[in-house]
Amino acid sequence: MSAAHMFVEYAADLYRSCLLTAAYFTSLAPAIFYRKGVFHLNAKNKDALYGYLYILPSFLLLLIFSIIPIFLSVYFSFTEYNVIQSPTWVGLNNYIRMLKDPFVTAALKNTVIYTLISVPLQTILSLVIAALIAGEFRNTYGNFLKSAMFVPVISSAILVGTLWGLMLTTDGGLINNVLALFGIGQINWLGSIKTSLISVCITAVWKNIGYFLVIFYAGILDIPSSHYEASKVDGASGWQQFWYITIPQLKPITYLVITLGMIWSFQVFDLVYVMTGGGPGKSTTTLVLYIYTTAFREYSMGYASSIAFLMFIVIILLNSLQNLLFRERN
Amino acid sequence: MNTRLRSPLDKAGRILLAAFLLFCALFAFIPFVYMFLLSLTQSKSLYFNMGDLSFDFLNYLRVFRNTNFLSALKNSMIVTGSACILNCVLSSMAAYGFAKKKFPGNRLLFRIYLTTLMIPGQVTLIPVFAIMKNIGLLNTYPALSLIIVNAFGVFLIHQFMENVPDELLEAAKIDGCPEFQIFFRIVIPLIRPVLVSLTIFTFITSWNDFIWPLVIVTNSKMNTLTLELSLLKGQFATNYGLVMAGSTLSFIFPFILYILLQKQFVEGIALSGIKG
Repeated sequence: MSAAHMFVEYAADLYRSCLLTAAYFTSLAPAIFYRKGVFHLNAKNKDALYGYLYILPSFLLLLIFSIIPIFLSVYFSFTEYNVIQSPTWVGLNNYIRMLKDPFVTAALKNTVIYTLISVPLQTILSLVIAALIAGEFRNTYGNFLKSAMFVPVISSAILVGTLWGLMLTTDGGLINNVLALFGIGQINWLGSIKTSLISVCITAVWKNIGYFLVIFYAGILDIPSSHYEASKVDGASGWQQFWYITIPQLKPITYLVITLGMIWSFQVFDLVYVMTGGGPGKSTTTLVLYIYTTAFREYSMGYASSIAFLMFIVIILLNSLQNLLFRERN
Repeated sequence: MNTRLRSPLDKAGRILLAAFLLFCALFAFIPFVYMFLLSLTQSKSLYFNMGDLSFDFLNYLRVFRNTNFLSALKNSMIVTGSACILNCVLSSMAAYGFAKKKFPGNRLLFRIYLTTLMIPGQVTLIPVFAIMKNIGLLNTYPALSLIIVNAFGVFLIHQFMENVPDELLEAAKIDGCPEFQIFFRIVIPLIRPVLVSLTIFTFITSWNDFIWPLVIVTNSKMNTLTLELSLLKGQFATNYGLVMAGSTLSFIFPFILYILLQKQFVEGIALSGIKG
């Protein structure tokens, strides 16, 4: 690289940093002028000024990395944009293209199937395990169980995907070894169109159970023990207590777990990226994975933005559903 | 413990149940043991036998020698560390402003904060990338840590601000304590428990983050651990021991912290999930 070129780069960097610093200090100007005694404030206004100052840094970040991007994302979705050239307006073209794109249909379908398998599975399993631990083992043993099941939660999805990727292989993977003990032949879990998506689902459920388990457990501890005492006087069995007391009392928490699970499922990316890369075929291509490949492998940022906007709508709907259900409770 | 809640299970049933739950716990934990043991072997197959074990940690040395793992470790530490500090400082400042200061637009702004919580990062992936590129932040530590800061911390601490009595702040003000000292000397110590939760939450989010580094980092010198791990699998496909050594390395820090601060971890991560 020539010296002149480097100088230009350096100057551009300097210019950008100056601009950012200037923007920050402009927003600080009222405070600086106040300190210099340019104007005077009464106690109430002074408090308000401090209020703004406390919020300012975090608000700037929110503005730059959340609020502006949302509007930009909508704008990009009506353009053709490859990062290098500036976006050109193409109207509804991206949306029309989306309707005909088999990958979008596949991604949407896979995401929905993924959600329909993993959400009920992780909700039911974590609820049952939480109820069993809370019912029988409120002691050191129960704490040990919870702690052990929480370990997958703190590990990264990339680690879990890598680990399970190895465990699911046919050349000596742990899962096939265990299944062989029961006389089940080798299954190419991730390599076959029929089993790839469900394998990713199982991995996700395995990773998430500990998380929801802890939430359910806390919820069960909050149920007044008088409910159980009364039912015991009436001669209810453990199963009846679970069915008629625990489950109805946990309704709001179950809503939370389900909607949270749904939102997570719609955003699944890391696991499929590292386990299957979307294949074989389109069998595990999810929405976010397709957005990523379209934007950062094919550089169709405009088109990818329109798919992202579709996903945004779906997630907003899921979120409103959650809010609606919560309002019903309060 | 609470014997009143005990359902009428006999001893045999309890033992059976204990065994079943132990199986579940082992199922959750054994893969990590498998990962560690496999990282100590040189075999080219996944069939694991104890004879292959050697405690020379050769795979770990190889990971450091042949890949960017060491720099990735450093990058992850810097990014995660600054993300934790930034998130705690900025979020507690904003939460304090919202909870204890009266100014026009307070409630509206707070509602905007809450609304942004609904926006998943994947939706804003492309515009954020474009913005980062335009202000020259690609491949930088600030980009990787700033992206972790969001409205969630503000929301979490805001709920905790009720524990800070207004009278105390008033008294300090009357005594002539300067505003920013009130914040650092009085407010921060009072909200320490929630800051611990937020730090742990931020630590795990940032350390395990994948999609942002994937997009923001284009220079392998800036790779974070998760990025490096995802590459490892492609580079050394059948060298399972090596891949597992990398996995173990990426897991060791969260795991040690988890062992040390179990209770705070569970609160920080699980109960933080109950948002908005």
